[in-house]
Amino acid sequence: MAAGSGAAAAAGGRSFSFKVVLLGEGCVGKTSLVLRYCENKFNDKHITTLQASFLTKKLNIGGKRVNLAIWDTAGQERFHALGPIYYRDSNGAILVYDITDEDSFQKVKNWVKELRKMLGNEICLCIVGNKIDLEKERHVSVQEAETYAESVGAKHYHTSAKQNKGIEELFLDLCKRMIETAQVDERARGNGSSQSGTARRGVQIIDDEPQVQSSGGCCSSG
Amino acid sequence: MSLKSERRGIHVDQSELLCKKGCGYYGNPAWQGFCSKCWREEYHKARQKQIQEDWELAERLQREEEEAYASSQSTQGAQSLTFSKFEEKKTNEKTRKVTTVKKFFTASSRAGAKKELQETKTPSPSINRQASIETDRVSKEFIEFLKTYQKPGQDIYKQCKLFLDTMNHKRDLSIEEQSECAQDFYQNVAEKLQTRWKVPPEKVEKAMDQIERYIMTRQYKYVFCPETTDDEKKDLAVQKRIRALHWVTPQMLCVPVNEEIPEVSDMVVKAITDIIEMDSKRVPREKLACITKCSKHIFNAIKITKNEPASADDFLPTLIYIVLKGNPPRLQSNIQYITRFCNPSRLMTGEDGYYFTNLCCAVAFIEKLDAQSLNLSQEDFDRYMSGQTSPKKQESESWSPDTCLGVKQMYKNLDLLSQLNERQERIVSEAKKLEKDLIDWTDGITKEVQDIVEKYPLEIKPKSQALAAIDSENVENDKLPPPLQPQVYAG
Repeated sequence: MAAGSGAAAAAGGRSFSFKVVLLGEGCVGKTSLVLRYCENKFNDKHITTLQASFLTKKLNIGGKRVNLAIWDTAGQERFHALGPIYYRDSNGAILVYDITDEDSFQKVKNWVKELRKMLGNEICLCIVGNKIDLEKERHVSVQEAETYAESVGAKHYHTSAKQNKGIEELFLDLCKRMIETAQVDERARGNGSSQSGTARRGVQIIDDEPQVQSSGGCCSSG
Repeated sequence: MSLKSERRGIHVDQSELLCKKGCGYYGNPAWQGFCSKCWREEYHKARQKQIQEDWELAERLQREEEEAYASSQSTQGAQSLTFSKFEEKKTNEKTRKVTTVKKFFTASSRAGAKKELQETKTPSPSINRQASIETDRVSKEFIEFLKTYQKPGQDIYKQCKLFLDTMNHKRDLSIEEQSECAQDFYQNVAEKLQTRWKVPPEKVEKAMDQIERYIMTRQYKYVFCPETTDDEKKDLAVQKRIRALHWVTPQMLCVPVNEEIPEVSDMVVKAITDIIEMDSKRVPREKLACITKCSKHIFNAIKITKNEPASADDFLPTLIYIVLKGNPPRLQSNIQYITRFCNPSRLMTGEDGYYFTNLCCAVAFIEKLDAQSLNLSQEDFDRYMSGQTSPKKQESESWSPDTCLGVKQMYKNLDLLSQLNERQERIVSEAKKLEKDLIDWTDGITKEVQDIVEKYPLEIKPKSQALAAIDSENVENDKLPPPLQPQVYAG
């Protein structure tokens, strides 16, 4: 609702809080991916965390402090309709598919369509082909995946949670892009340094005059 | 940019931007909607009076605390009564009979009536004040807490008082507008804490929590499930829906917890208790804390069962199952209340926000649940929904250990009866078959006999006279040649 990315970032000045949702079919390795990133463990009996559905990570990128909150989502088909409740107000989305499973890539395409429709271009999308340790059984071609990612304005990554490949890069890259988006957003508002309370009112007034109707209508969709 | 603002969906009418005094200048939310000039006038008037009254009240509250506690035996009684009802709810839950909605309604509305607090506008608040113990306690703790902040503490207190007064004047506004006011207030105070009062960042969050606790304890009765909304209707709809879905089993939802393990079933009970307890809290953040506690118990249950950290794939189905099993009172009202009046920074980021989102998902799923989402055929789903059959009968073995013995026995007996019924039917049908066989056999024999009779009709020829004459006379029998061999003559 009120506290979007920009507001959270502007209030702190130097620190950013980002929400990232993890989307993808069950069994593509979403959980392994975050566990590898946040705990650096894979299928480990000694994993200390009680759960892998909500994890946080603190980063420092070029002197900017970033608080990353990673939201796992239920991947089963029966929960697909609940997606919008999860990805509301998120700054980034990581869409994971299994390179040995054509269907899971199809599922990613559906998610992309939905996200672009609901959140526009404000959300940074990452399409991730996981399980590259199973390269021999690959069913989704690199060419196809990368072309597709480019066509929808997303970045494509290859990872292996098992071998710890590409994961650090994925998250670092995503954070950089989200910082950029937040800063552009801030500058566009033209008062990044002023109090966000006034900024909020300022936005309203501008928004109010041309189309009263749509501002009311959109809040229900968001 | 326009997208962003649309997403926020904040809509303000032109008239609301003008000064409230109607002087024609624009107002500013930081000045409670007045223009700078009118604000200064208003503020100075209110300020002196309030500072004095507030600190008087604070001191008096401290003094009065003991007597207040002593004289409030009845309130204490009522509170423990509420708790016993809560316990009752818990036991009811175990037997899958959820009938305590009404009790919860009455219990909390009674509590709500008690926390009436005369706001400081009244010249002598002590005369007809009917504050509840809890509200007083919260006020006292809040004031104590603010003392650690020295000068900013007073400013914070003034801001909160001002906000409560403003809210008092805004009772006629729609709940969305009141929510907007509260959100604005949170944002303004958070900024002032950081920029104007120079409160260190690590203390800001704590202060915000205390502020939320203070103002929402007072606002609760006006803005929780207000009559102007259809929250209550939605509550009842969800309640009814969950009751209609009493037959849903963990297997149908693919819930990864095994309730046969005692520790796991213990966790499940605790999770249910937590989610039910949410309704008894008044502060949004405390409600959130209940959801978080419930989620932690769920994670424990999953961890014990699966021996690995729970992912969202495991968590959401389990939460849905817990909600179905617990049928928490006033679920929609609570969700709406938290959404409207929780400090947004807590709700949007952070762990609490994640679990809250999952609860919203669980409720949305339950509302839309159909045959497909449980991997059932439409016929089965309809039959279960209409109560014609229950999938429980077939799996009485997998009853959780905490199920009431009587219910277990009943299902066992039902099982036995249905088995007997089956046997009886089998016997009857076999008897009928036997009867039919017998009839068929008789018919068959009769027919066979008839056939043979038809094929070889019995012809009784009249005795020939000549032969009779020969036989009868029997004169020259000895002279006759021996009789001919039959073979020879048979052809």
